[in-house]
Amino acid sequence: MPAYDRRAFIKALSAAPAASILSISNAHAAKVKARVVVVGGGYGGATAAKYLRLLDPGIEVTLIERETVYTSCPLSNEVVSGERAIETLQVGYKGIQKHGVRVVHDEVTAIDPAKKSVTTAGGQNFVYDALILSPGVEFNYGAVQGLSKELAESRLPHAWKAGPQTLLLKRQLEAMPDGGRFIIAVPKGPFRCPPGPYERAAQVAHYCKQHGKNKAKILILDANDSFSKKPLFEQAWKALYGYGPDGMIEWVSGANDGKVERVDPDSLTCHTGFGEHNGDVVNIIPPHSAGKVARDLGLATFKNAWCEVKPESMEATGQKDIYVIGDSCVGGDLATNNAFPKSAHMAMSQAKMAAAALVAKINGLPLPVPVYTNTCYSVVAPDWGFSVVHLYRVENGQWVYIKSGSGISPVTLGTPPKPVPRIYRRLEAQYAEGWLRNVLADAFG
Amino acid sequence: MRKGVMAVVLFWAAGTTMADINVDTLARTCNNCHGLNGVSAGATMPSIGGLPKGYLSKIMKEWKYDKRAAATMNRIVKGFSDDEIDALAAYFSKRRWLPVAQKTSAVQLKLGKSVIRENCEDCHGTYGNDPDIDAPRIDGQSTEYMALELEKYRDEAFDMPHRKMKKTIRRLKDGEVTPVVDYYGAQKR
Ligand SMILES: Cc1cc2nc3c(=O)[nH]c(=O)nc-3n(C[C@H](O)[C@H](O)[C@H](O)COP(=O)(O)OP(=O)(O)OC[C@H]3O[C@@H](n4cnc5c(N)ncnc54)[C@H](O)[C@@H]3O)c2cc1C
Ligand code: HEC
Ligand code: HEC
Repeated sequence: MPAYDRRAFIKALSAAPAASILSISNAHAAKVKARVVVVGGGYGGATAAKYLRLLDPGIEVTLIERETVYTSCPLSNEVVSGERAIETLQVGYKGIQKHGVRVVHDEVTAIDPAKKSVTTAGGQNFVYDALILSPGVEFNYGAVQGLSKELAESRLPHAWKAGPQTLLLKRQLEAMPDGGRFIIAVPKGPFRCPPGPYERAAQVAHYCKQHGKNKAKILILDANDSFSKKPLFEQAWKALYGYGPDGMIEWVSGANDGKVERVDPDSLTCHTGFGEHNGDVVNIIPPHSAGKVARDLGLATFKNAWCEVKPESMEATGQKDIYVIGDSCVGGDLATNNAFPKSAHMAMSQAKMAAAALVAKINGLPLPVPVYTNTCYSVVAPDWGFSVVHLYRVENGQWVYIKSGSGISPVTLGTPPKPVPRIYRRLEAQYAEGWLRNVLADAFG
Repeated sequence: MRKGVMAVVLFWAAGTTMADINVDTLARTCNNCHGLNGVSAGATMPSIGGLPKGYLSKIMKEWKYDKRAAATMNRIVKGFSDDEIDALAAYFSKRRWLPVAQKTSAVQLKLGKSVIRENCEDCHGTYGNDPDIDAPRIDGQSTEYMALELEKYRDEAFDMPHRKMKKTIRRLKDGEVTPVVDYYGAQKR
């Protein structure tokens, strides 16, 4: 069988050597067309590294990732509720290596864009012709008074990067008494996984219901005034768990003093502008920004937090031959308030575009016609899921949000509006699992 | 690993004659859910690589024009032009159908086979690899996906257009659905 895409994509070739358009000739002679270093082996980085090799095996690809095992954030809220074992979310890097990607487990500490080199904590040095950054997010603990990295790892887990903190949060939930209060503090957007905090609220409520903690309260203290898939979440919360001041789940908007500014870790008190809320479990998601390696390069120019990139290629606007993908970048139709959501699906879409654009550039060909898509499933109970889809194209060098190819699962059906039959929610809860297995395979397999 | 490297050059927009459609780029967005080459790695998502062009294009247009219900796909395809849908259908029909044989018990296989003899093989073939012109291959198709499709046919509230499929599937007894999809899902020929 012909190798993926290559057949359609790459054709019988003359001897066009290589990195003709790239500004530096780090690639050594004939054999290797160009050297690409990818920093960060999450959904974005793993996908970029793999697709570079699939699209053009003449490119040498090195992926530098701190950890040897990746834990998927998507569906990790089900680990908190006990619906899923964390192992089902974990994957290593053997699959990527099979595509000829050189995987280095180390931490990138410095990047020199003039010398085009990357230095690691382990003292290794890598020279690149092009660099792809997908370092995820960096948490700004200082934004919430009283919070620190140490507290997040010991008593106040954010669990906004799946791993040990996810398991800690799960244990705290298990230890919470009936009548206990679980606080989720949501930072001002944009943040990683826009529907994530609200899915978490539902999973925590599901746990409480399953374990007879019917008097539990899940309080969402939000710095924002609305949220992703709001009508779908509110409908499900109401039907499944009770929603509002008398229900199990309650949401306090930013306008209603929902923004948490300070926390007292000993009394587990969250202080908002005017009020205070005591919790038995306090899950503060700190504000975050582009990963440190990208910030250190001065690329986080958007609101001093996120990296701006070119719509046709994902190349950083501020730095030639450096591409920023995944949660670290900002993109989408900002003028109409339709920014790219920070999701794994989106990170992979960006990764594939960056890889295709880079391969075109290396081979001296015109850039491919860009298209970016997202789908994000939320699972609020084992048999209740829904989704949002997004489509973006690029017109006149700008991202355009395509409304006809975007939207949430139906809240009602038909005119006059009727309730959506349960089968729709059941199907999307099942599809979420199929999505997870496929994205893990597509990125890491 | 590098063989052929020196003998290739990129050829953009291959597989389509429309200048502004890059079907490779579009198709790559499908891999997130349907797998590389349309071979699904998740039991609830269908493989689509190697299904007939006409079938793929028909299904997607039915979703686009609200002639067929779906949980997710109908929203995804609405952003694509008919030409893009045709290009995607052509692209995936040119991949190879790779049945993913999923394990099941001998008891299920036996029961499944007898139900299929009676109800399905006329249109899908005994092994699911020899379908009528308007039906897709289902040998080695994701079992949980097939079970969910049959649930759609059985649920009054879900609008599936094919009348004969609907009639056949509604005739099945509750316990017959799982063995049937397990049987087809276990095939690899
Ligand atoms: C609870 C929760 C639920 C979610 N659910 C969904 C969902 O259902 N669907 C969805 O699409 N998305 C979901 N997301 C969002 C998704 O997890 C992120 O959008 C996605 O992980 C972004 O990918 P990335 O490559 O940008 O970053 P990451 O996946 O975070 O990967 C970054 C990698 O870079 C490495 N790294 C960083 N700096 C360095 C360095 N200096 N040196 C070496 N390595 C480094 C890190 O170790 C990490 O492995 C969810 C997120 C959360 C928190
Ligand atoms: C977010 C996940 C997701 C993405 C991305 C996605 N699909 Fe699907 N696909 C599904 C689901 C779920 C179904 C089952 C139908 C439904 O939505 O209820 C499906 C079904 C299908 C089917 C029917 C298969 C059959 O055997 O009848 C086709 C064809 C299809 N998709 C094509 C595509 C194409 C082409 C793309 C890329 C443009 C794509 N899909 C992208 C989730 C996805
Ligand atoms: C009269 C012919 C006919 C019979 C009998 C029939 N099918 Fe089908 N089946 C079809 C057709 C045609 C389609 C495609 C429908 C469409 O395009 O909407 C289909 C679709 C399907 C699908 C969905 C495939 C996909 O990829 O989405 C499954 C699963 C399936 N059939 C299983 C069965 C089983 C199991 C039986 C027996 C119990 C059966 N069918 C009996 C004609 C038939």
